[in-house]
Amino acid sequence: MRKRIGAAVLVGIGLLAVGVAQNSRSSTLVYGLDSSDLITLDPGLSYEFSSGLILDNVYETLVKFDGEDLSTLKPSIATKWSTKDAGDAWKVTFNLRNEKFASGNSVTADDVIYTFDRAIALKGNGSFLFTDVANMKVGSTKAINKNTVEVTLPKTASPAAFLNLLTFNIGGIVDSVVVKSHVVNNDYGSAWLKTNSAGSGPYVLNRWDQSQQVVLDANKNSRLLPRLSRIILREMKEANTQKIALESGEIDIAGDLTPDMVKAKATDSKFVVYKADSLRLQYLGMNSGAGSLFEDARVRQAVRWAVDQDSIVNSLAGGYARKVQTIIPAGLFGFNAATPYSVNVEKAKALLTAAGKPNGFEFEMLVPQGSCEAGVPCSDLAAKIQSDLAKIGLKANIKQIVQSELYPIYRAQKAQMVLVSWSPDFPDPDGNATPMSDFGAKSLAWRNVWNNPTASKLAQQAALETNSTKRAALYKQLTELQLDEGPFAILYQPKVPITLSTSVQGYKRNAQGQVRFEKISKK
Amino acid sequence: MLNYTIRRLFFVLFVVWGVSVATFFLSQVVPGDPALVALGDKATDEMIANFRVKNGLDKPVVAQYFSYVGRLLQGDLGTSLRTGRPIIDDLRDFFPGTLELSITALLIAALIGIPAGILAALNQNRPPDFIIRFLALIGGATPIYWLAILLLEFLHNKLRILPGPGRLDAYLIAPTRVTGFVGIDALLARDWQVFGDSLAHLILPAFVLGAFSSALLARMTRASMLETLSQDFIRTARSKGVSQSQVVIKHALRNAFLPVLTVLGGVLGGLLSGAVLTETIFSWPGVGRYTTDAAISLDFPAVMGVTLLAGMAYSIINLVTDLLYALFDPRITYA
Repeated sequence: MRKRIGAAVLVGIGLLAVGVAQNSRSSTLVYGLDSSDLITLDPGLSYEFSSGLILDNVYETLVKFDGEDLSTLKPSIATKWSTKDAGDAWKVTFNLRNEKFASGNSVTADDVIYTFDRAIALKGNGSFLFTDVANMKVGSTKAINKNTVEVTLPKTASPAAFLNLLTFNIGGIVDSVVVKSHVVNNDYGSAWLKTNSAGSGPYVLNRWDQSQQVVLDANKNSRLLPRLSRIILREMKEANTQKIALESGEIDIAGDLTPDMVKAKATDSKFVVYKADSLRLQYLGMNSGAGSLFEDARVRQAVRWAVDQDSIVNSLAGGYARKVQTIIPAGLFGFNAATPYSVNVEKAKALLTAAGKPNGFEFEMLVPQGSCEAGVPCSDLAAKIQSDLAKIGLKANIKQIVQSELYPIYRAQKAQMVLVSWSPDFPDPDGNATPMSDFGAKSLAWRNVWNNPTASKLAQQAALETNSTKRAALYKQLTELQLDEGPFAILYQPKVPITLSTSVQGYKRNAQGQVRFEKISKK
Repeated sequence: MLNYTIRRLFFVLFVVWGVSVATFFLSQVVPGDPALVALGDKATDEMIANFRVKNGLDKPVVAQYFSYVGRLLQGDLGTSLRTGRPIIDDLRDFFPGTLELSITALLIAALIGIPAGILAALNQNRPPDFIIRFLALIGGATPIYWLAILLLEFLHNKLRILPGPGRLDAYLIAPTRVTGFVGIDALLARDWQVFGDSLAHLILPAFVLGAFSSALLARMTRASMLETLSQDFIRTARSKGVSQSQVVIKHALRNAFLPVLTVLGGVLGGLLSGAVLTETIFSWPGVGRYTTDAAISLDFPAVMGVTLLAGMAYSIINLVTDLLYALFDPRITYA
């Protein structure tokens, strides 16, 4: 008898386990990814990749990018916008669309003002975009009327960069009425907004179970008419777990399969591999300060002539990367497609001789542990570069350390050569040009002790230029100068392979990592 | 007994203090900057300085330690540098996952390991003994991550008889949190589908986690039983005509159980401090994953919080194990 009861219980558990409502599967998308970086879902505070993927679908921004194109801003909450030179400042005016938040409240100029002032006051990890890049302060945003808002930027800020950074999390417009009703101890409602939503995007946040899943439900008030009623982002850190879950149909999309797994799935008819662009650049940084081994620009050129980029892109990265040599990534305004360097050992040696180092030299190359861009193990990439440089007489001693140990050394200008990557915070060329060229910005040019006044001036001029033809010309000049004299050897721009079940339709991901969930359907 | 218990609880405080000193000062010698890890490579010097002030990292090490102990005495484990939440809140979220997994794993380990050990001992050097010893050897030597992926691939992906990673099917929504244990919360909400699904999701990870422990328990039970079965009192019992089952269960097992109990306590302590690999592969939100993420982010307050709790858990489990000795063996008394 006991055995029978036991068997009945087990059968019952099994039936319940498989008895999940099948009809919800066709209207629900399950996205498996490593979202362990998720800290908050407050758009004013979040600065993590995973939160960007979510918040971009929960909050609308004034302007946005559509599809994979990052060069043309499209209307979103703002139907029109214009930039005016007001003598000592820029005035950027937005005309707002007549639409509603998920709560049913109308989107007004007051919400835009509250959103921007709130993000500045909260001083979150991304607030520097408003304060340091756009040079905004609390009070910079004013209402002209209920549906028109004006932002005043000092002449030190780039209006183009400002518009582009609005597409980031921090530009997500919050429902000020709802958020204000949840303020506790002057926290601007951040404790509540961490796990709740108050936006006008196509989805609303249903729940966030830490380290498990984020559930988004279609926003019935959204003008964007989402096709799927629910999106579930399931946290799966392990690539193997994602692979098994994708094969069993438990998830529809796997975001972090290893290059080998992706290769196998690319030939399987049940799956599609989507090659998404990214704005990241994997590069070698060379300390160019006075007295350093890479001080002479010809030594840096020799390194660029020695590195076999084609082999890195095709073999190590398995084709999931693009060969670039300039500091602005492909896909952004100002990209320079020139690739003048190819492997030429004789030329590299001649440059070293001209620089007074005919016998080469020995130096330390700092390399992070784990994977570099495009899933290439950093140790493999470093070994390849070491072997390429050895051919011209440069002996790189690889020192592989954890990132948390590497960056303090790099930031203190104490690295001789580093193998790291960079990506802009917002899709504007200034996100790379200034940090990589302007010594005074105390970023990458500073870390590599490359103080070139012409490059600094060009970066600053290009950032502030509102005429796109003139701006393009300035970036061309700057990227050419960097190609010739800069402290970087750009190695590649990675692609991000996303593996989808063939039932998923309409998936597109731009280089900023944004996916418009409302356009996805399942067949 | 009471005096003994109070004395031992007092020693727990010493253990916790020792753990706090060790983890705190170890955290100071680990290279790397927690502020930089938390804020990212692009953080400005000003942002990093503000972060240090906000989190007390700008103060001298000794001052930081005393401020930490001061907060601990008030029951405050501090705030996580990574999640920005009080560590106690984080643990409240993650501990139930680990607890339900650990207890199920321990049950599985005990239900497999102890009977297998007895069976092997009763059939010493005969085929059942060889088979059990061989399986125990395999169980003890199999890497957890390999077993986990193998079982997921076959039982979930190919045969489809058991659910995959996570605590619930992705299409099911967990009931409102009351206890943090999905199964219990589902029962409270009378959501039978979620209840069944949560139990089914426990089977694979708990089995994987329990496999190693069951092998350990089987070997320990076998050795202990063999030693007890050769004792004079067993021979006396048999000569008096006591049945085999009575000899085994009433006389041998009770005496052989003390070493097994020690192993059980150790196993539970280990499981409670988090099963990093199992939790990672099965996307199980538990203390092991929380601690790993914290360690990678140099989130020392969180690592210290978990280590303190693990230290306490080990001490209390050891105390309970010692007290249980007296229950199983009347010759043992505590004064």
